[in-house]
Amino acid sequence: MSNSPHDATPILEGRDLAKRFGGRRGLFQSEPTVHAVNGVSISVAAGETFAIVGESGCGKSTLARLLLRLIEPSEGQVFYQGREITKLGAGEMRALRRELQIIFQDPFASLNPRMTVGAIVAEPIRLHGLARGRAVDERVAELLRVVGLRPEYADRYPHEFSGGQRQRIGIARALAGEPKLIIGDEPVSALDVSVQAQVINLLETLKEQFGLTLVIVAHDLAVIRHMSDRVAVMYLGEVVEMSPVDALYEMPLHPYTQALLQAIPVPVPGGRGAHDLPQGDIPSPTAPPPGCRFHTRCPHAQERCSEEHPALETAGEGRVVACHFWRDIQAAANPPAPVREGSAKLAERLELYRAHQTRREEETAAAAALD
Amino acid sequence: MSQTTALTDTGSAPADLGASEPVLAVENFALTFSANAPANLIDGISFTVERGKTLCIVGESGCGKSVTSLALMGLLSSPPARILSGTARFEGRDLFSLPEREKVNLRGNGMAMIFQEPMTSLNPAFTVGHQIAEGITRHRGLPKAEARREALRMLEWVRIPAAAKRLDAYPHQLSGGMRQRVMIAMALANRPRLLIADEPTTALDVTIQAQILDLIRHIQEETGTAVILITHDLGVVAEVADRVAVMYAGHIVEQGSVSEIFANPQHPYTIGLFGSIPSLGRRQGQLATIKGAVPPLDLMPKGCRFAPRCPFADRRCMDEVPPAAELAEGHSVACWYAPIEEKMGTRQ
Ligand SMILES: Nc1ncnc2c1ncn2[C@@H]1O[C@H](COP(=O)(O)OP(=O)(O)OP(=O)(O)O)[C@@H](O)[C@H]1O
Ligand SMILES: Nc1ncnc2c1ncn2[C@@H]1O[C@H](COP(=O)(O)OP(=O)(O)O)[C@@H](O)[C@H]1O
Ligand code: SF4
Ligand code: SF4
Ligand SMILES: [Mg+2]
Ligand SMILES: [Mg+2]
Repeated sequence: MSNSPHDATPILEGRDLAKRFGGRRGLFQSEPTVHAVNGVSISVAAGETFAIVGESGCGKSTLARLLLRLIEPSEGQVFYQGREITKLGAGEMRALRRELQIIFQDPFASLNPRMTVGAIVAEPIRLHGLARGRAVDERVAELLRVVGLRPEYADRYPHEFSGGQRQRIGIARALAGEPKLIIGDEPVSALDVSVQAQVINLLETLKEQFGLTLVIVAHDLAVIRHMSDRVAVMYLGEVVEMSPVDALYEMPLHPYTQALLQAIPVPVPGGRGAHDLPQGDIPSPTAPPPGCRFHTRCPHAQERCSEEHPALETAGEGRVVACHFWRDIQAAANPPAPVREGSAKLAERLELYRAHQTRREEETAAAAALD
Repeated sequence: MSQTTALTDTGSAPADLGASEPVLAVENFALTFSANAPANLIDGISFTVERGKTLCIVGESGCGKSVTSLALMGLLSSPPARILSGTARFEGRDLFSLPEREKVNLRGNGMAMIFQEPMTSLNPAFTVGHQIAEGITRHRGLPKAEARREALRMLEWVRIPAAAKRLDAYPHQLSGGMRQRVMIAMALANRPRLLIADEPTTALDVTIQAQILDLIRHIQEETGTAVILITHDLGVVAEVADRVAVMYAGHIVEQGSVSEIFANPQHPYTIGLFGSIPSLGRRQGQLATIKGAVPPLDLMPKGCRFAPRCPFADRRCMDEVPPAAELAEGHSVACWYAPIEEKMGTRQ
């Protein structure tokens, strides 16, 4: 799906990004500094789906906001199509915003409750002068249809919609500016699985249809495997491993990635064998551990790990990993057990389920065409 | 070098009691929040939980999982909640007709509940040690110093690191995962025979979730507590359940042993749910979906509640409620077209 990242300018690139929050000095007491993102470099190729994964507080949302320059980095640069956007003035940045959109996790909080759905979706169209007058309404109706909502909904308010529908409204709004790249910050995490599947399918269809590049921030590893081409794994503000998706799941190199993959419950009874869970809690980003930040929870930690910070090093085709001992760990590890798939009966019945569903849809479409 | 302290003197019988009475047997339970509601919110559900076993209730949000557990705990105020029918026999006694005083006594003693958000049951103004000890004193009448020692033992038991120090911590000084452990310690301090856990790990990170699930499993093996675990995560179900009840819009549409439900799912809703979760293996095309959303009560169909979203629905489904039928021992399905291959084969 993605072009080789070597032969083209990445559509979006972050270099040595760092973001620190707080740290103001008071008269008697200074506020602790939160090291939310630290020394992160990533590049996203045009047309790919790039995922950022990690546990709560590891800096995923902060990184996403840095990449769109919704917040200013403490250090580092961001490039969009080879052009440094961290240098642009407000006017130039505003013009660029149209091409770089974001959708948020919480569809409830991210839509203005006092605006109608139509006004919400029309805002970027007006702002960027993409249409005027009647043409705006037509464009809004078209966008609502594209995301699977009825155009009549334009007159209603966000509170009249379910979580999945609100997420569709958020997507319609993001599409309104005719973007090249959309960052989804946990776009499906708040949704029930059935609705989540609808929204995932929608995002994939839109990506094809409009030639979008997607950056997906998520903590659900199954969602990421399903949707993305490449993955960056973050821990306490740093990227610890980056890899094409299948290689990462089939042979995780970093002990933290291994732990994450072992911790997810597999929806097949007895599907996950014995596991070594990482002990303890995630340390606070106000006082990240010295050396390797994972050493307080790593089952392979040695003395060197608490002293020396491991740099990212190349580990095969398109892969990087930041661990002093990844080679030894890799050599000693048994290959991970293949994920057991669901039952054969389930597969057959899903086939039947889909066939009937498709037939229903065709019948409904035919009936609609008749009126 | 296990950090776990065994609770050896619980006085409870070993987990394996053989084929005994279920700890809890719910039958034909129906509930509404308003006398003139167009449909019942919980509409005649039945299930049982056995000693030392875990029943998982799964289903989309809003389908009545939390309301069911709150009703069992006697935590719904009435009015507005009204139980329309049914019994819930806990160790033989019907919870729905128990006098208030006995209900209060049973809560936190015979049965206990933990929630998705631990602050639901923790008081921010008191130390965790104080709160656990208080429950112990109230239900077991232990003197203060002894209750505190017991509280410490509980914190160690749920594997809180540096437990002695944490005894004097306030809830806000703990991480989410640790607060969850404290809540579990508090719920289990009086050795309940039934634990209801409503989405206990939904708000937690996967590594912490795995720790908590391990803990619940371990506790259950050790004490023989029966567990009702409510979740919408089929991965969690596969990992901890003995039995599974799939709930949709106030009905239990399918229930059976965990192996049966995963190997031989029959209800179209169950099949659709499985199809909507992405796999951890290599991608296999687009996900299956369940169209639309759970209907609100005023749009609830009078027949099968899943009919508006079901790819197999026909006229009869819209008009008549399918009864739950047992397809195999312990596996029941409420669908006019179960078993699916056999019945679907007879339709055009
Ligand atoms: N505006 C802010 N001021 C102070 N600290 C902040 C701010 N924004 C984020 N942080 C802190 O930075 C760290 C990273 O936060 P971020 O929101 O990026 O994490 P995340 O990976 O998106 O987590 P989640 O999965 O919970 O969404 C956290 O410790 C957070 O508390
Ligand atoms: N106190 C209440 N009064 C009226 N309706 C309620 C009350 N509590 C819950 N409900 C409704 O009951 C339905 C089921 O809720 P709940 O049991 O919380 O679902 P879930 O399966 O997600 O736990 C929802 O539609 C909810 O809005
Ligand atoms: S550098 Fe050391 S502590 Fe860090 S992941 Fe590798 S082995 Fe573990
Ligand atoms: S009874 Fe009919 S509508 Fe209900 S699940 Fe079965 S086939 Fe579908
Ligand atoms: Mg976030
Ligand atoms: Mg609930």
